[in-house]
Amino acid sequence: MDARLRRVNKEIADCKNDRSSNIRIDLIDSSPFHLKGSFPGPQDTPYEGGHFEVDIVIPDSYPFQPVKMKFITKVYHPNVSSASGAICLDILKDAWSPVLTLKSTLISLQSLLCSPEPNDPQDAEVAKHYTTSKRSFDDTARYWTQIYAGGPGSRGKTETKESVRDEVAIAGLEKAHVDQFEALGFERGKVIDVLRRLNYRGANVSKITEDRIVEELLK
Amino acid sequence: MSSDYDYSDDDGDYYDEDDMMSTQDDEGSAPSDDDMDMDAFNDDFSVPTRNARKSYEIEHESLSQTAIEKLMAADIEHISGIFGVDEGTASLLLRHMNWNKERLIEKYMDNASAVSVAAGISLPSRSPPSSSAAAPIRSQGSSARSSSVPLGRTTRQRGKPNSRSPTPALMHGSGRSQAAKPEPFVCPICFDDSQTSFLALSCDHSFCAGCWNAYVTTKIREEGEHAIRCMAEECSLVAPDSFVQNVLSEDPPTWGRFQELLVRHFVGSNPNLKYCPYPSCTFTVSCPAASHKSALTTIVPTVQCGAVATPPHKFCFGCPIEADHRPVICGVAKMWLKKCRDDSETANWIKSNTKECSKCMSTIEKNGGCNHMTCKKCKHEFCWVCMGPWSEHGTAWYSCNRFDEKEGVDARDAQSKSRASLERYLHYYNRWANHEQSAKLSVELYSKTEKKMEEMQITSDLTWIEVQFMKKAVDEVEKCRTTLKWTYAMAYYLDKGNEKELFEDNQRDLEKAVEDLSELLESQIDAELIPSLRQKVTDKTVYVSKRNEIMLEDTAKGFLDGRWAWNVTVEGFD
Ligand SMILES: [Zn+2]
Ligand SMILES: [Zn+2]
Ligand SMILES: [Zn+2]
Ligand SMILES: [Zn+2]
Ligand SMILES: [Zn+2]
Ligand SMILES: [Zn+2]
Repeated sequence: MDARLRRVNKEIADCKNDRSSNIRIDLIDSSPFHLKGSFPGPQDTPYEGGHFEVDIVIPDSYPFQPVKMKFITKVYHPNVSSASGAICLDILKDAWSPVLTLKSTLISLQSLLCSPEPNDPQDAEVAKHYTTSKRSFDDTARYWTQIYAGGPGSRGKTETKESVRDEVAIAGLEKAHVDQFEALGFERGKVIDVLRRLNYRGANVSKITEDRIVEELLK
Repeated sequence: MSSDYDYSDDDGDYYDEDDMMSTQDDEGSAPSDDDMDMDAFNDDFSVPTRNARKSYEIEHESLSQTAIEKLMAADIEHISGIFGVDEGTASLLLRHMNWNKERLIEKYMDNASAVSVAAGISLPSRSPPSSSAAAPIRSQGSSARSSSVPLGRTTRQRGKPNSRSPTPALMHGSGRSQAAKPEPFVCPICFDDSQTSFLALSCDHSFCAGCWNAYVTTKIREEGEHAIRCMAEECSLVAPDSFVQNVLSEDPPTWGRFQELLVRHFVGSNPNLKYCPYPSCTFTVSCPAASHKSALTTIVPTVQCGAVATPPHKFCFGCPIEADHRPVICGVAKMWLKKCRDDSETANWIKSNTKECSKCMSTIEKNGGCNHMTCKKCKHEFCWVCMGPWSEHGTAWYSCNRFDEKEGVDARDAQSKSRASLERYLHYYNRWANHEQSAKLSVELYSKTEKKMEEMQITSDLTWIEVQFMKKAVDEVEKCRTTLKWTYAMAYYLDKGNEKELFEDNQRDLEKAVEDLSELLESQIDAELIPSLRQKVTDKTVYVSKRNEIMLEDTAKGFLDGRWAWNVTVEGFD
């Protein structure tokens, strides 16, 4: 049997048999080389209560070259692209070792959620948010967990008012700021869009003039 | 016979110049080494030969992979002797220090075990107290120096204790096959319990031979890695060559590729050496004269490797811009290309747009490649490039190689000032691009010429060797167009003055000669006139070649003498 196939099959089986672990690996289609990993968000983090899914592609030269992983679930984290789910983690690149497994790599992703590394960011904007205002970052990360990862507090909240407030938080913005420009007669969605684009948060607020924002809103 | 030299009036002054005569005298007619079997026709071509090195030629030497391997072996032997270590270890130490022997000796004398650990030869004697302390050591030993990821992170995140063997640090020579493992030992990578052969570096991390082979092959073939680390997580030991060779004993091509990677690393570590950039060529060129960046303000190090190839493997030792950008130095060539890239949009806009007739101001579109414009409305004839009256250009447009700053500004008074500077740029750019284009068309010209040569063999009693004059002429034209192209890049940056004028005189003479020969090569062949055509082409080829010589030689001397002054700041010039 193909060595890669044997190894992957064993990894999947081992993971299934390990009842103490909360890591899951599932097939997506009939190919054993395209898988879906999942794990719960770590406790005492903004990701707690969420269920995170990871797309796994096993390259031809696996395990001698690293497995390819990216988040399927949207995650608000400095080392994860908020748009594509791409992950910045050393073991997925040059620190990979063939003795690492899919499971151990997923555990590493889980612990990456505990300990972000904003100095080596994948998503510069999120990293900036993290370093300028940790509390506000946590709020946004928690909202993303709620909305995208099925975290606590998300169930049954379908009122429109609620979702509008969420939008502000998701964008990592202050509600007061959005209200302020909405009061000038601009459409709320557009305000959120512009403020997000200008990164109107944390220390940036004092650097960006209101005129500049209005100018952008008028475009 | 004299009728064969039926030159046009223009050609009359070809041989009037004194410098021409003296150059001709100097040349002699020794056969050049690339003309095999062509003695018969060499008499016609007193083409300059390579007897004495010209100012524009740089001394360099081509080295085969074997020759480089000998240099490496000498360094390894030297270090092995001084440190009293085996050659595999000496090689890893040298590679770790990028083949800087002096630094290696200094560091090794200072702290041999730290250097050995960093080079991936031995394990740290004790597990370091904290992972952060281990990080710098590991990042040095790690081959992946480009990584910006703090290595301590991996340890923390995986939260798994380091399962390093408690064995004290060992210096390892050849990686040896480990004795049979206590049963049942299953390779932790492939989980294949039928494997019987296991290998480990001195760290004792055992894996099956099949996994080692697959891993080493991937590292070499897919990652071009010459420092192959142990497969265990966070183990920083590097496999010595003997171990790699043993693992690849069934796969000589991959072992060969590994040796090539080692040679490339050695060459890359030595500023006197450059690996030939042509695909799958394994030659190295040594050019100590160009090893320092400062030398590149006075020389253009065009070199050629020893591979027997058509065309030969010519490249610039100083930059990756273009194989041969003589006569202009690397820095100016680079500046020019950047300018062309930056201005290409504006230039294209201007080029594709219409201009106003300098007399009646009506709009005129450029049609075709000819710069001779005639206004449809007032019949005013002018030059598209300089906007000056065509009558002042005489019968040839070549005198337009010089951008006349003063008159040009008058003629373009109607145009805006920013446009004037753009026009100045376009003057040089158009000529630069034209020669580049024409040189590229040489493939086409060559096949046309080949056809002509065939025709000649049929319609005349000339032999194959005798019709080679056409090929020779095409080659010369291509060579000279490359020179011309770069002279326009140079002239754009040359400061106004006497020296620039002399430069442009040489440029004009070369350009005129090249265009003349080009035209002749494109002309119809009349069987009866073949002997005279042959004579003409041969004479003109010799002349073109000499004009090129003069252009290159004088410019190169100018750099050596510090004669060239620039209208911008050029790196390395005061
Ligand atoms: Zn194995
Ligand atoms: Zn090891
Ligand atoms: Zn070559
Ligand atoms: Zn160069
Ligand atoms: Zn007109
Ligand atoms: Zn002109």
